[in-house]
Amino acid sequence: MTTTDQWIPSTCGLCYGTCSIRGHRVDDVLVKIEGNPESAIGRGRLCGKGVSGIMTLYDPNRVNVPLRRTNPVKGKGVDPGWQEISWDEALDEITARLRKIHDDDPRKLFIQRTTTNTSIRAPMMMFAAAFGTPNSWAAGGGLHCGNGAHLIGGIYHASWSLVPDFQHCRFAIYFGASKGHGAGHVSCTNMQDAADARARGMRLVVVDPMANFAAAKANEWVPIRPGTDAAMALAMVNVILNDLGVWDAEYLAHKTNAPYLIGPDGCYVRDAETRKPLVWDAARGHAVRYDTPDAAALALEGEYEVAGVRARPAFVLLREHVRQFTPEWAEGISTVSAAMIRRLAREFAAEAMVGSTIVLDGKRLPYRPVAAIYFRGSQGHKNSVYNCFAIELLNEIVGAADVVGGALGFNPVCYGHPETGKPWYEPKPGPDGLMITGTWVAPHLPYPIADPKPPTTMSLGGLFPLGMFGPTMASSDQEELWTKFGLPYRPEMMLNYGANSLLSVGNSDTVAATLARIPFIVSFDITLTEFSEFADIVLPDTCYLESLDSRPNVPFIFNHPAGLGEWSWPIRQPVVPPAGQRRLATDVLVELVDRLGIREEFNAVANTHLKLDGSHRLEFGTRYGYEEICDRELKSHFGAARGLAWFKEHGVISWPKRVEEVYWRAFLGVRVPIYWEFLIGLNRNAKRIANAHGLDWDDVWYDPLPRWLPCPSHEVRDGAFDLWGFYYRDTLHTNSFTNENPWLDEASRLDPFSYTIALNAATGRTKGLRDGQEVTLESPHGRRVRGRVHLTETVHPECVGIGGCAGHWAKTLPIAQGKGVMFNDLLEVDWAHGSPVNLNLDTCVKLRIVP
Amino acid sequence: MALSATPDRVLADLGATFRPQRQWVEGRGIWLIVGHFLSGVGAGTWLFALWLDWRPGLVLAIAAVALSGLAHLRFLGRGARFWKMYRARTSWIARGFVGMSIFLPAAVLALLVPPGALSGALVVLATVGAAILIVYKGNVYAASRGVPFWNSPVLPILYATYAIRGGLALLLVTLPLGGRGIDAHGVGLIELWVAVSAAVMLGFYLGVMRSTNLAARRSVAELVRGRAAPAFYLGTVAVGLLVPILIGVLGFAGPLSHAVLAVVGATSLVGDFFAKYAIAKAGIYVPLMPAGREPVAPAA
Amino acid sequence: MRYGMAIDLKRCVGCYGCQLSCKAEHGTPPGVLFARVLKREFGTFPNTQLVYLPTLCFHCTSAPCVDVCPTGASHYREGGVVDVTTDDCVGCRACMQACPYGARFFNETQTGYFPGQGLTPYEERRYSKENVGVVMKCNFCIDRVKAGLEPACVANCAARARTFGDLDDPQSEVAQLVRLRGGEQLQPELGTHPNVYYLPPA
Repeated sequence: MTTTDQWIPSTCGLCYGTCSIRGHRVDDVLVKIEGNPESAIGRGRLCGKGVSGIMTLYDPNRVNVPLRRTNPVKGKGVDPGWQEISWDEALDEITARLRKIHDDDPRKLFIQRTTTNTSIRAPMMMFAAAFGTPNSWAAGGGLHCGNGAHLIGGIYHASWSLVPDFQHCRFAIYFGASKGHGAGHVSCTNMQDAADARARGMRLVVVDPMANFAAAKANEWVPIRPGTDAAMALAMVNVILNDLGVWDAEYLAHKTNAPYLIGPDGCYVRDAETRKPLVWDAARGHAVRYDTPDAAALALEGEYEVAGVRARPAFVLLREHVRQFTPEWAEGISTVSAAMIRRLAREFAAEAMVGSTIVLDGKRLPYRPVAAIYFRGSQGHKNSVYNCFAIELLNEIVGAADVVGGALGFNPVCYGHPETGKPWYEPKPGPDGLMITGTWVAPHLPYPIADPKPPTTMSLGGLFPLGMFGPTMASSDQEELWTKFGLPYRPEMMLNYGANSLLSVGNSDTVAATLARIPFIVSFDITLTEFSEFADIVLPDTCYLESLDSRPNVPFIFNHPAGLGEWSWPIRQPVVPPAGQRRLATDVLVELVDRLGIREEFNAVANTHLKLDGSHRLEFGTRYGYEEICDRELKSHFGAARGLAWFKEHGVISWPKRVEEVYWRAFLGVRVPIYWEFLIGLNRNAKRIANAHGLDWDDVWYDPLPRWLPCPSHEVRDGAFDLWGFYYRDTLHTNSFTNENPWLDEASRLDPFSYTIALNAATGRTKGLRDGQEVTLESPHGRRVRGRVHLTETVHPECVGIGGCAGHWAKTLPIAQGKGVMFNDLLEVDWAHGSPVNLNLDTCVKLRIVP
Repeated sequence: MALSATPDRVLADLGATFRPQRQWVEGRGIWLIVGHFLSGVGAGTWLFALWLDWRPGLVLAIAAVALSGLAHLRFLGRGARFWKMYRARTSWIARGFVGMSIFLPAAVLALLVPPGALSGALVVLATVGAAILIVYKGNVYAASRGVPFWNSPVLPILYATYAIRGGLALLLVTLPLGGRGIDAHGVGLIELWVAVSAAVMLGFYLGVMRSTNLAARRSVAELVRGRAAPAFYLGTVAVGLLVPILIGVLGFAGPLSHAVLAVVGATSLVGDFFAKYAIAKAGIYVPLMPAGREPVAPAA
Repeated sequence: MRYGMAIDLKRCVGCYGCQLSCKAEHGTPPGVLFARVLKREFGTFPNTQLVYLPTLCFHCTSAPCVDVCPTGASHYREGGVVDVTTDDCVGCRACMQACPYGARFFNETQTGYFPGQGLTPYEERRYSKENVGVVMKCNFCIDRVKAGLEPACVANCAARARTFGDLDDPQSEVAQLVRLRGGEQLQPELGTHPNVYYLPPA
């Protein structure tokens, strides 16, 4: 027998970092996974998880055939009584049920997907749109990752997230973020860039309740009480603006709405004719429209008589607003000392070098080598919007946004491959001159803000245009809220792709109750999970190493390295053929489209969504397999010669980035809001609708300027609950349920933190606990989890830290079963624990240790 | 076949800052302790049987060493390759193997050939082999630089002392069975001397160990209040040292019966085994620490 | 020629890429980890330091493991690499007791990563009965090195914390890093002369 020996370029799928890989296949066996050095995404290097995918692929507990449940009773730990069925049987039944719903009310279809495999995002969104259901969410996503961070990233950086400009930054302050330390977007490239930055001498200060990952590599760790980031950041803004008097007037005047004149009602003073906001032009001595081309002396200070009202620039309001947030006040809330806050503010302001420039590629650009970065830690709270807004203000007031050395969005601008000019996108000015992103991940853009409407979706999204997904998809009070708002239907069927919402949302009892109410659930899975116990049909999915996709890293604002370097567009392709009867889920979706007779709708959506061009557009009447659609997408972007066949051979296409793309802020005439005037109108309208439906409303969440608002955990009065619980993204399992992978499980068991409850050593001693002791944690709502404590000096004395994505109990996951602690089981999923402005679920919880 | 450790414990050990040594004491590793015990006792017996000129004792010595060889084979991961262990230039295990390879054929032949110059030479050769067997074991442990508790020049002396005492002990048990009369009082005195010396060595050893690095102190802690403590207190100290010493002290008051001497012998043997067992069990590997950093002092 | 490595503790972020790429490269069975990442904690709150300490065989110039090997299975090969000739190993484990760096592993049985569920196709291909009952260890990926590649842990390190090369060549990157950054060996007092150096975290 001849041995075949191949290296097949593809894309990792064990977190949304989706690094480019090469699979070494000998005969039909995958023997090694390495990074693909030809791609900017990972640059040939992988994290521990990335190289371990072999064990996920070859897990003997994979599902190989379609399964139908025989036990009508659904519940946690209830055996569904799986019966093997054929694909035809499965698809016949699914089609019949979908058709009935489609004919009746398509909104009764509830679509759920994982955030781990980003490749499913576009096909599922396209399917949902073609089918006609607005009820779709990424389970866990939106609640746990980005309702706040992505929203603020979108509004200020036209991007899903941000990093320091690792190549030029000199001082970065992270608030609950670990970019560059083995987790999250562009995980592997960022690790390298962050290491280079450390070697170069970038100072890193990490504000975090725990000193693992980013804080472990920081020059300084600032322990903070969970959910209080806004207090600290606002005090820093106050010190910088009011004590130090430092700000970037040029940036604020021309790149933000700081000069916009605000009337006594808190709203913009507008031009009577065009309704455009006015600014005060000191050179002219009168107010002009913000977009007056030759207005160069826009006032940031003072008070002016305009159109019969006293008006002040928004910047004045900001400065006055933050005066109340003294470092001493912030210390009381955050436990970070006032002296520390003052010192960090001073350092940040000084290191910003306001006014300095640098020449790159022959172009003189602003040079602001400081960055304030926020992510899951600071955003995972009821107050996520203000937390992120407050931190972002640090970048904005010194002009350190998308300029050299500052806080960079992930690729908000792309002018495309030199030969085709595609993909092409850039931010543009929207209503009132504020920035609209050039491309986006979620169905609706962060700005402009839609008018609130009486909600007609399961998430109540219409009423909360700042949110992506809402807890009501799986909350304990969903029925109450749906009834309140008169939702005219209930979910009748769920189509789930790979999400394990039992573990990824909040406490599993609440989620289980919501799932048990859904009459029919179909789930694409690679293994049977806790979620599958609630499914009626399980379809055996290909894992990422058996899958094909033309856009694993699209859009670039989601997961592509920021900073100068290269663009890379890789594909995913099977490294080994699918075993058993596993089928590519997207292929099955396309088949369902055809069986349902919604081909025309689907093809139309695909043409728009995938930006298919010219002869590569899908004809409405023709059936296309998923490969064909992928081929057309690639050709649309990179020319007829570079279709799927070319990509299968080469794996990735790369081309150099331009200075205008990376440091785009100086080149584009867009502004961002330091004063969220639009919240005033939004609040007025949303409140009216909410009150009409009997929902209490608190205006405090809709102030145009940020403040610190307490999480439910900060309002627990019972002193017995003396600890704050939070979870963190363990590098071995960040954003994926990979406890079942035995290589990763082995590494986790060797890690002192992965599977334990990290508790401050002194706190543990006062409680008489010893390292390794098994304890129960209990929330004020009586939720309990059990695990072993690890006594450590790396955690805030008031806190316990738990690695996320753990705590499986399903017998069908024999490696994962009983490993680690399911933190989410402590979380309430209800209206009270969600943000009334963007629906973000609070993920910190007050706890006590019981024997 | 018993494994040295379950997969769970392998990982627990690997994850521990102070990683316990299990290869040479648990699972199949127990056969190494048995082997070390038997080869020491056998070699010691050879010496004393020669001194007492008691032929059954010589046979017993050969049997003990032969059994030791079998125990070693049982211990080895690849016993069939045992014959490759001749790289004696730096390896004490190879030296021990050479010692055994000399002792066994020489001793057997010495008993088989008629008395004369040849048998005399064979006896000398066998005695050289026995001497190597007495010396090598402690050095095998002492060469283990990964286990600071063992990595000490005191250990070879301690193990040699034990081997000699073990030989005497085996004879104390077996001589009466062989119907051979001995000067009970004299033997008792020697026994007392050796027991005390072993006790002194052990105390010395532990004392030295306490003052060296953290891993060795951790081992001492394992011995005196940890995993090895039951074997140490019961086997090594109580049965192995206190009982024979006590009986030996009583021996000053008058002659001891053969039965009592047999008890002294038996308890000494038990003590010998458990000394090796407990010391092996208490082995802790050097904790891996960043340069210039000490691990946090071990919890009691 | 003396192969060696510099591990930059300032760059390492503890992602386990080395530990697991090594596992994938060598197909090591459960509990056998030629490359590892240790986490070591120092200081007291809030002046705490968590050090990620990646380890592997240090390929000592005076390797105690080679000295104690009764068969010569443990030996020095080209470039001072310490390796085990599997066919000569009797499984006495003296080398494990001699190694002060925990770099050696005894593979007691042929078990896979899914207990009771047989071996995966990967394991079928990569595991060898020859490796049962013997000691296994890192060999600096000498086969890769001879083929012009870096050791797997080096090639995969996302933070580029590991540098491999010839310590005898003063111009090599690894030798320069050790010299300029003040590379330190672990437990140099043991006299083993390790050829893996750590560049300080601060």
